[in-house]
Amino acid sequence: MTVREKGYTHWDGELKPTRHPWWPITRLGVKLAFKKKYFKFIYFGAFVPAFAFLVGIYISERIEDFQWMVRGSTKILEVNPRFFNYYFSNDFLLFMMVMILLASGAGLISDDLKYNSLQLYLARPLQKKDYLVGKAAVLVFFLFSLTILPGLVFIVFKLLFAGNFSFLSSYPWLPLAVVGYSLVVTAFFCFYTLLLSSLSKNKRYVSILIFAVYLFSDILHGFFYENFKQPAFALISLKANLQQMGAFFFRQKPAYPVAWYLSLLILIVICLVAAIVLRRKIKGVEVVK
Amino acid sequence: MGTIVSLKNIHFSYGRVQALGGIDLDLAEGATGLLGPNGAGKSTLLRILLGFLAPQRGEGRVLNYDIRLELPQIRRYVGYMPEDDCLIPGMDAVTFTAYFGELSGMPRQEAMKRAHDVLFYAGLGESRYRLLETYSAGMKQRLKLAQAIVHDPKLLFLDEPTSNLDPQGRQEILELIKDISSRKDIQVLICSHILSDIESVCSYVVILNKGRVAAQGRISELKQLKFRLYEVKIKGEAEGFIDRLKNIGCRVDEAEDKLLKVYMPAEREISDFFRLAVEANVQIRHFVRSQTTLEDLFAKAVGVD
Repeated sequence: MTVREKGYTHWDGELKPTRHPWWPITRLGVKLAFKKKYFKFIYFGAFVPAFAFLVGIYISERIEDFQWMVRGSTKILEVNPRFFNYYFSNDFLLFMMVMILLASGAGLISDDLKYNSLQLYLARPLQKKDYLVGKAAVLVFFLFSLTILPGLVFIVFKLLFAGNFSFLSSYPWLPLAVVGYSLVVTAFFCFYTLLLSSLSKNKRYVSILIFAVYLFSDILHGFFYENFKQPAFALISLKANLQQMGAFFFRQKPAYPVAWYLSLLILIVICLVAAIVLRRKIKGVEVVK
Repeated sequence: MGTIVSLKNIHFSYGRVQALGGIDLDLAEGATGLLGPNGAGKSTLLRILLGFLAPQRGEGRVLNYDIRLELPQIRRYVGYMPEDDCLIPGMDAVTFTAYFGELSGMPRQEAMKRAHDVLFYAGLGESRYRLLETYSAGMKQRLKLAQAIVHDPKLLFLDEPTSNLDPQGRQEILELIKDISSRKDIQVLICSHILSDIESVCSYVVILNKGRVAAQGRISELKQLKFRLYEVKIKGEAEGFIDRLKNIGCRVDEAEDKLLKVYMPAEREISDFFRLAVEANVQIRHFVRSQTTLEDLFAKAVGVD
């Protein structure tokens, strides 16, 4: 007898509250992102700097074996906080992160708005925060894999290649700096992407926004700086603000003579605006079709 | 028979626009139809029952859980089939259905196993691995039903379950709903504009109009199908006449302006009516055959022709 002929049957199990109701949302988001071929290309491409820096750490410990290659430019291979700041704040990595946000994050909320699936989520025993945490965790997964993971791997490999703990005793705060900066970058990019994703039902439009806002803020900074020579215009640029934070965490001289807390303030304000908009947008879908 | 939904004096407004103006409802087990014209407050009522909206006044319980304080419990045991097409691009039906089962609190593997069962039940067994974007309107409708029942809810909210369906698809969905509601002890609340759908599935009906309950009760009682409905105005002592009508099996409701609504058993003749008037010594001043169908009842309840 087929299921259809047998008719509806009850499920024997018991529905239970789970500790992390957002986890299936995250798992699905990551899975759907990897279904896209171009995303795989972007994601694995984003690891190129990490591999290059890892090779740099290896060479720095075997510098005598690679003299023919380094030709006296040993300073760039010194593994110190500057080395870490350079990895975390380099334009290519930040650009690749934006590309990942674009490929994996643009549709996170906008697709749910377009295809009306938000009401299915909210008809489940999920709170709005579970839904948002689940979506944000997709981005956290990708961004952590490019920030906190390589950062800590660099430290571990440096210790392994060196065979002693002198590096860590020289910079005991470095692991915390890696974690702290990764958290700031990831939190900011999560709010930034979810905010833009909630503003439109069109994923392509959101993708353009994610890229354009990031790029345009930097172009605007360059334009004003060239015309007015005021370093404070760096606060306009999302990239410059993140780089300022990198310099603060890794105790380096900032690229722009602007206080780091102003950059942090700008990033926090953007995150707060995003939180308010998200709260209203998700609620708005519930109330008005 | 237990009460599945109990609402008292529920008010809700969207800004200055009042959507619900004091809803009192007690829905018993079984299938209930929620009827009403556009803007009557059906969707708002469903959203309040699901906990999407918090009522501004009043109180209520769904499956004996408070609609203000126990939302997760309500949502855990309720299935919801929305009116709009809902999907997640890039997913197939099995993953989609299992996913929402898991979000309802089912273990992952159980949800996957159950998803296969309900998709077969909903008639999507053969196409359960197809991408949802390629589904037809009818298939999407079945998919919505499958995701609503995957966690074996105690109460099922169906919002326009037969919209966008051809006659055969509509009939099949109605049969599934009938199967679920009549034999499987799942309570069903159906919100629909199609009165014949409500008639074929539901035993109880609630008609909303302008944010208030215009009529509610068992369809059979409301329609009095075995009766002919007459509107009568008389001159003289009404009590004796009403008693005589009741004695021959008529149901008599007194309306405004001394209008009597008389539900006369089909086997009775109109001449009986006039004979009783003579016996009770009253004059019949107004005598009109009135509504007997659900459509008439609906039209009457919401004040339209």
